[in-house]
Formats: sequence, C-alpha cells, structure tokens
Amino acid sequence: MLSFLYARQSGLDDPVRLRRAESTRRVLSLELNHNRDVARVHGNGINTLDIEVIDGRYMLSGGSDGVIVIYDLENNSKKLQYSCKTICTVGRSSRHVHKFSVETVQWYPHDTGMFVSSSFDKTMKVWDTETLKPAEEFQFDGNVYCHHMSPVARKHSLIAVGTKDPKVQLCDLKSGSRIHILQGHRGEILSVRWSPRYEHILATASTDSRVRVWDVRRASGSLFTLDQQNGDKSKASSEAVNTAHNGRANGLCFTADGLHLLTTGTDDRMRLWNSATGENTLVNYGKVVNESRKGLKFTVSRGCSPEFVFVPCGTSVAVYGLHSGELITMLRGHYNNVDCCEFHPDYQEVYSGGKDCNILAWVPVLRQPDIEDEENNSKRGGTQAAVNPAFEDAWSSDEG
Amino acid sequence: MSRKRALIADTFCLKRRRSAADAVAGGSHEGAADIRSSLQNLMTLFSRKLFNDSLPPVVLKHQLYSLHSDRTSVDKQLNELRVSGELLMFQLGFDSEAFALVFAEDYRAKVLQGEAGRETLETVEKFLDKLIPGCSDLSFNKEKMLKEFLFTDSEITQLVKSGVLTVRDAGSWWLSIPNSGKFIKYFIRGRKAVLGMVKKSRYGEILKTELEGRRTTSHVKFQMKYHIHDIVGAELVECIQTTSGTLLRYVDGNIN
Repeated sequence: MLSFLYARQSGLDDPVRLRRAESTRRVLSLELNHNRDVARVHGNGINTLDIEVIDGRYMLSGGSDGVIVIYDLENNSKKLQYSCKTICTVGRSSRHVHKFSVETVQWYPHDTGMFVSSSFDKTMKVWDTETLKPAEEFQFDGNVYCHHMSPVARKHSLIAVGTKDPKVQLCDLKSGSRIHILQGHRGEILSVRWSPRYEHILATASTDSRVRVWDVRRASGSLFTLDQQNGDKSKASSEAVNTAHNGRANGLCFTADGLHLLTTGTDDRMRLWNSATGENTLVNYGKVVNESRKGLKFTVSRGCSPEFVFVPCGTSVAVYGLHSGELITMLRGHYNNVDCCEFHPDYQEVYSGGKDCNILAWVPVLRQPDIEDEENNSKRGGTQAAVNPAFEDAWSSDEG
Repeated sequence: MSRKRALIADTFCLKRRRSAADAVAGGSHEGAADIRSSLQNLMTLFSRKLFNDSLPPVVLKHQLYSLHSDRTSVDKQLNELRVSGELLMFQLGFDSEAFALVFAEDYRAKVLQGEAGRETLETVEKFLDKLIPGCSDLSFNKEKMLKEFLFTDSEITQLVKSGVLTVRDAGSWWLSIPNSGKFIKYFIRGRKAVLGMVKKSRYGEILKTELEGRRTTSHVKFQMKYHIHDIVGAELVECIQTTSGTLLRYVDGNIN
C-alpha cells in the first residue's frame, strides 16, 4: 500500500490507481460489522434492495409482505455505533400498498423524487416519494417478476417489465403508454436489465433458458441470443442449442462499464459474456448454487481492480473475482436464504437482504490505530494529536 | 509480457496460501499449472485391464479441477491442447457437463486395434485422418459430414456401426469412444457407491485418506482415487482443509 501512496505522491501513477487499490483492499476485507445495523421493519422476507445513484444515501427495500421501506444510510451521529433508520414506509395500513409480494423496486435514476415498484399483484406503481402515493399505475396480466429503468437514458424514459407473459413490455413513463412489446422468448421473463453503456440496449433472461439482447429502436427481433457453447454444438438435441444455461436463466447483471454481462441459471452456473458480441468468455466460476424460482438479484463491484461479483448463494453471499472466476470468500451471517444484495460504490459496502427479514451491512474492516501511538499521546496529555486534525474522522472514536 | 508495474491483485495476495496438505496431492503446487502432466497422472489411475485393453485411458474434465484451483486457466489450456490436435474431448451421455478427455494417439491406436480385420477399417481410418490433426468438434451434423469431409451416407452408417459416431438427433452425431458403454455404466455405479460411502459416514463427512483406505464394494470397479478426483471436481462433495488432512463433506441437494 505504501508503494501506491509513494507512486501517487511522486506522480509515477495515475490518481485513479491509488483509488482503485484502496477500493480493492476494502472489498477484500468485508466483514459483518457490529457497529452498523439496519432497522428491522419487514415482517416477511426482503426481496429487493436499491441504493440511489445520486448521493448513495437512501436505500429502498421491498418485501414479501408488500411493504416498501426507505432507509437513510448516512451516519450523521458522531458515534461509531449506527443503526440505519427508516425515513418512511409504505406499510400495510396505506391505501395504496401492494396486495402481494413486492418483487422489484428501483429509484428513478435521475433523482429521488420518484421510485417504481412492481409486485406479484400484477401491477407496477410509480410512487411520489414525498406523498408516498402512486402517481401512475400499470396493470398487467400476469405476475410481474422484475422491471428496470435505464440508468443512462436521456432520450427515452422506458421501463422494461418482465412478467409471466413471454412478451417483454416497455412502459413509457412520460406518456403512460405501453404499446411497445418485444417478442421472442418462450417462457416467463425472470430478469430484465438495461445496459449502463448504451441507452437502447436491453438484456432479458427467461425460463426457456435463453438470454436475449435487444435494441429497442429496431422493429425486428432480438439482436442476438447468448449461446453458452459459442456455436460449438454439444447438446442432447439440435433444438436445445442457443441456450445460455441448462436450466432457467434467472439473474442478469451488467458490469459497471457495460462491456460484460453476467448471467446466472438454475443449472448452478454463472457465466460471463461479452455484451457486444454475445460471446461466452468461458470464465469458470464453479458451482454457484441457485435454487431460486424467481429472479436472483446480484451485483458487481464498481471502482476496484479486479472487479468482484457478489452473488447470493443459499444462506450466504459468495464473492467471486470477475475475470478470474475464483471464489474469494463467502459472507456468512444470514439465518435464512439471501435474496438480494446491493453494492454501495462510495463506501465499498454490501447490503444484503433475505428471508430472515434482516438487512445486513457488510463493511470493510478499518485499520486499527497503533497502540503505541495512543499511549504516547495520553502521556503528553493529548495536546499533540497523532493525526492531523484535518484528517481526523468526526465520527470514529479512538478506542477502535 | 513483462509488467512495468505490479497488478493491484498481486499486491493484495489474492491467491490463497497453499497449505501443507496440498503437497500430498501434488497437483496445486505446480506453479506453471502443467495440464499435460496432470492428465498423464490421472490416466495412470484408469484401470485398463477392466476392459480387456479395448479402451484408451479416459479422464473426465472435472477431475482436473480437483487438482488445479484455477478452473479458467485449466479450461484455456485444455482448449489449446484440443486445437493443437493432441487431445480429444467427448460428450458423455449421462451429464451435459461431463466431458471425457483422451489423448489423440491413444484413441487412434485403440480404435484401429478394435477395427482390425473388419470391413469398416478403411472408412474409420479415413475419418480418423480427417479428425485428428484438424477438427476439434464434439458433434457433427449431416452437411458437415457430406460436404466438408466428403463422406457418403453408407460410409456414415459404417462409422456409426463401428462406434466412432453415436446418433444424437436426426442428422447429427456425437463423436464417441467405441465400447464406452461399459465404462459409463461402471463409472456411474462407482460414483454412486463412493458418494453413498461419504454420505453414510458419521456427520456425512470423511477424511480423504480414510476413504482411500476403505474396502470397496463390488460396485466400485475403478480405483478409489479416480472416483475421489471425480466427486471433488464435480463439486458433489465439499473439500475442507483440516489439521488432519483434507475432509470430504457430502453436499446436500445432490440428486445422485
């Protein structure tokens, strides 16, 4: 680490490199922290989490009881022990609450005035955060498994919705219309994701084992289907080719730069694809246990080198190196199955929620201050601080 | 390619420290990860006499994963060997993820040995000549056979009769090892038996050295080490390092 600091100081290295090295070091030391807690509000399992992009301060969670809660993640108290409080909830007593389980929630990508939630009660609601009333409601024919709004979109404000119907529906937020349909899948759509690089590229994963990539501007079908064999035929019959997985494909995640796409399937495999060509990069992650009948929500780190994938695996969260495929560590702490996890890019923290109704925060372990320095300080009467006051944290105590 | 600056990953020692127990297996200590020598080691575990010497030594791809920790580099090196024509890969029928590996010269020798005296000999020779240096496919469909390889329909029938091709679908064939049916049968039975032994042990776990020393039932025809590499590589058991050696724990949720 000192070599990175020296290289930065003398100008040998890019400033970004030091930042990446520190982020990587922090991610490698993730641990369940006694001091950080998230208030427990849900009465039933937590299905989805989303941290807003602008500040990284507010987190949304949706539960199996239909309740939606907003938390404040920032620690304004000057104490080390901090519990993330809820700011407001759409509870069971609210008139507009979802009737059944909330499957996906997402903040509006450009500000926190709005968020969208979709649920098994066949509706998708667009909420106004201030009044907590739905500004818009979309009705569907089948259970809504997932939805996603593009994080980089400037020219359109489409929400892609995956339901029990094999057709992917695109709902327009500005006009409220939903005439745009993407046809091509033959099974329920379990996961949809917009690319963080191009605002018109959409990836969808379905129970027919296929993952398709679409350009929504084109009138014809999908751009390509991800083929796990890269054209090499080795399946039991010729019809079973062009599948991304041998079971249901139920999780999708783009990397932060949008160049790669990760998919998980119920064949207990996770695959990394080149998102431009659809080629399987053949990185072997081993067995990634996946028994989810709905979509699996997993996440990739941002700003580290090498990047890490956080995948819920049973009752723990598995951390894999993105391009090497090796299992770095398993984050154990939940009492029951983990359903979702979310990475906070500014603090390199991971929040995970599961069926045990808990949201756990995995925080990088801080370096302990040297004991010798502390003793010297107390001898000198504390007049000379070991740390320059400009660098001193206002919220951490010296007792470590 | 030499690097001017160290990778961030290397600074933080992402590679796990190798424990003394690994030295016993001998595999993961190979810094250069020499796949060919691991393959040859595994091939010696294959019992030839069982099949009256009619099969070439067969190794499964996931057995290599139990010897080397980095699966992606194993896959890459296997691909290089396949492309260079030294190694052949086959899709066995019972599991879509189980691939068998055979050295090309062994395969050729055994197939020709099995074909000696039969009228299908020339067709098979022609096929092997086309296959071994250039092609690294797992399966072939009709157009490929007719146009690229210039085989006629009757020749294709001869190839299927001799066991080099197996029918997959109407108009497409797998590459296969002749007389491999018995191998697959014994293999599946042996795998089930060994897994059963691990499952029935106390707490569903057993030390690897103890398992190797156990007496095997008549269901287990292959060497115990061969089966152990198989179940560890296919992640049917969890491998845990302890102070007394490697522990194999049965993983719940397995069908077989």
